[in-house]
Amino acid sequence: MENKPVALITGCSTGIGFETALLLARRGWRVFATLRDVKKSGPLRKASAGMPLEILPLDVDRTASVRRAVAGVVRKAGRIDALVNNAGWGAFGALEEFSDAEIRAQYETNVFGLLRVTREVLPILRRQKAGKVVHIGSLAGQMTFAGIGLYCSTKYAVEAITESLRLEARPFNIQVAVVEPGSIKTPFKVNRRKAVAFVEGRSAYQKTLQAILAFGDNPSALAPGPVRVAQTVARALESRRMAARYRVGLDAVLFPLVRWFMPDFLYDFALRRMYARFRKA
Amino acid sequence: MESNQVVLITGANSGFGLACAKALAERGFRVYGTYRNPRKAGPLRDLAAGLPVFPVLMDVNRTASVEKGVGRVLKREGKIDVLLNNAGFVVAGFWEDLSEEDTLAQFETNVFGVLRLARAVLPSMRKRGSGKIINIGSIAAFAATPVLGAYSATKSAVNSITEALRMETREWGVDVTEINPGEIQTNVVENTRLGRDVRSKSSPYRAFTESFERFAQERFRHAAPVGKLVQTVLKAVGDHPTKRRYLVKFEDRILYWMRWLMPDAVWEWALGLTFPWSKRV
Ligand SMILES: NC(=O)c1ccc[n+]([C@@H]2O[C@H](COP(=O)([O-])OP(=O)(O)OC[C@H]3O[C@@H](n4cnc5c(N)ncnc54)[C@H](OP(=O)(O)O)[C@@H]3O)[C@@H](O)[C@H]2O)c1
Ligand SMILES: NC(=O)c1ccc[n+]([C@@H]2O[C@H](COP(=O)([O-])OP(=O)(O)OC[C@H]3O[C@@H](n4cnc5c(N)ncnc54)[C@H](OP(=O)(O)O)[C@@H]3O)[C@@H](O)[C@H]2O)c1
Repeated sequence: MENKPVALITGCSTGIGFETALLLARRGWRVFATLRDVKKSGPLRKASAGMPLEILPLDVDRTASVRRAVAGVVRKAGRIDALVNNAGWGAFGALEEFSDAEIRAQYETNVFGLLRVTREVLPILRRQKAGKVVHIGSLAGQMTFAGIGLYCSTKYAVEAITESLRLEARPFNIQVAVVEPGSIKTPFKVNRRKAVAFVEGRSAYQKTLQAILAFGDNPSALAPGPVRVAQTVARALESRRMAARYRVGLDAVLFPLVRWFMPDFLYDFALRRMYARFRKA
Repeated sequence: MESNQVVLITGANSGFGLACAKALAERGFRVYGTYRNPRKAGPLRDLAAGLPVFPVLMDVNRTASVEKGVGRVLKREGKIDVLLNNAGFVVAGFWEDLSEEDTLAQFETNVFGVLRLARAVLPSMRKRGSGKIINIGSIAAFAATPVLGAYSATKSAVNSITEALRMETREWGVDVTEINPGEIQTNVVENTRLGRDVRSKSSPYRAFTESFERFAQERFRHAAPVGKLVQTVLKAVGDHPTKRRYLVKFEDRILYWMRWLMPDAVWEWALGLTFPWSKRV
């Protein structure tokens, strides 16, 4: 146990965090799997029986909680080799109609939360003169989709955070990367928080949003499971030099590629046509 | 010319905002320019003495202030044809040198401020079936560098916000676009907020920050005058429909296309040639 590399992962109750924690533990890491609410730790506890995996509470929205968790890991393991910033959720609604509180809540987790954990862990990695940080970004950090504009904007921010932090940390032998999954089969969509204006049926965009929801909730047969993302995270963490970004899923690879070849006006036209279909649905 | 067109410009007492207020008023627009600090409103008041420019008190960080300011314009004019979301500033420092408050302040103005203004003007624009929102982004949205990571993150988020709003509001006849300038001579450097620990003797990034500062000062010494930006704004105001995004200077276009064409590894190598931080410590 002593010479195993140590990983700290946020948001491990379900989905990508859950599978990443298990996979890393199986691959010889000592894993600190953290959850916002340890009452939800049953399934992970069961699945990880006998593995070098410990569960700790960590709510990325709260500074005190982040400090306590990171200090706990250092006390127990003495070091951190990898941080996986996975905790996140998606807001759904028209950009115009989110209240201040809704905007703040979305950023609190996806952006400020990610920064909070990173800020706490960086000094440790620096002292070790080694370490890796992986952010779970999204295809939504490369392209903006209707109905989830607020969520996309947080993931765009994560892209810029990765790009700048990657260069800032390099002289200290700390590597930073972003993993960009496309659509993945996890409870992510169920856990989505819909804008109050939409839930109460008083949105000016009501019908369009409903059509987008109906479209997006059709489970795609092509969407990979969270294990695929976990495998990519493991591959990144176990490589000698991490690339800047890793894409997971056909959509995450293809969409940006198509976009890359398209002139702006054509992309604009394509988006408009797609959005118009929701409107008329 | 377009004598009855009403424009609302945030942050109009300085830099871009002030120059655009003058140019638009000279072309017959009725310009409402916001300021938040009466002691710094001098240049705007001087402008108002000879042109159809009307100063409005507004702090984009506060919802009540935004609603009140926009409400006053709507009451007087009955409409806002163009919103120029311009108020913004720069937080500088390596990520580890920024406090939570620094980061929050950066997003509060540059991102949440943009959303607040959009929320305040859109209902009236949708009702009239016309209107235009021009967000001032930055070339930093596409090219994140050390020291300006937080700023880049906010401008990347704005990039996504523009894209979402552009899709979502089109059916109401509202046009949303973005301008992404590179360095231009304004008060942006004087108004830059340094992260909490940037000047701290114990900051591990001290040497890097200093060399970056010298680099930035040099670049801003040769920055283009504000006239280039004004031309672009006038073009965006006049275009029906607008382009998806507007770049300002030739150098900005080169940078944009380089980033577009280069794989991450090549881009980072090229950045490393320009900046001195890639050495190990
Ligand atoms: N699924 C996709 O299609 C997809 C695609 C691209 C990117 N992603 C990203 O992947 C990451 C994981 O999502 P997922 O698909 O695995 O969805 P998920 O099953 O809903 O998992 C999200 C996890 O984040 C946790 N979390 C939320 N807020 C938190 C907070 N304040 N503090 C600590 N933990 C918090 C959740 O905990 P609770 O159970 O307590 O809520 C949960 O464990 C997210 O960042 C998401 O944006 C997902
Ligand atoms: N200059 C450049 O090279 C450059 C390049 C790319 C993008 N930009 C962007 O262009 C925009 C304008 O910047 P600038 O270069 O003209 O800089 P500037 O001369 O510093 O002007 C910024 C303006 O924004 C106002 N402002 C800042 N925070 C505010 C708040 N919370 N509420 C209301 N007003 C606020 C300032 O008011 P006070 O005077 O009271 O502080 C000032 O009027 C910014 O969004 C900036 O990020 C600038």
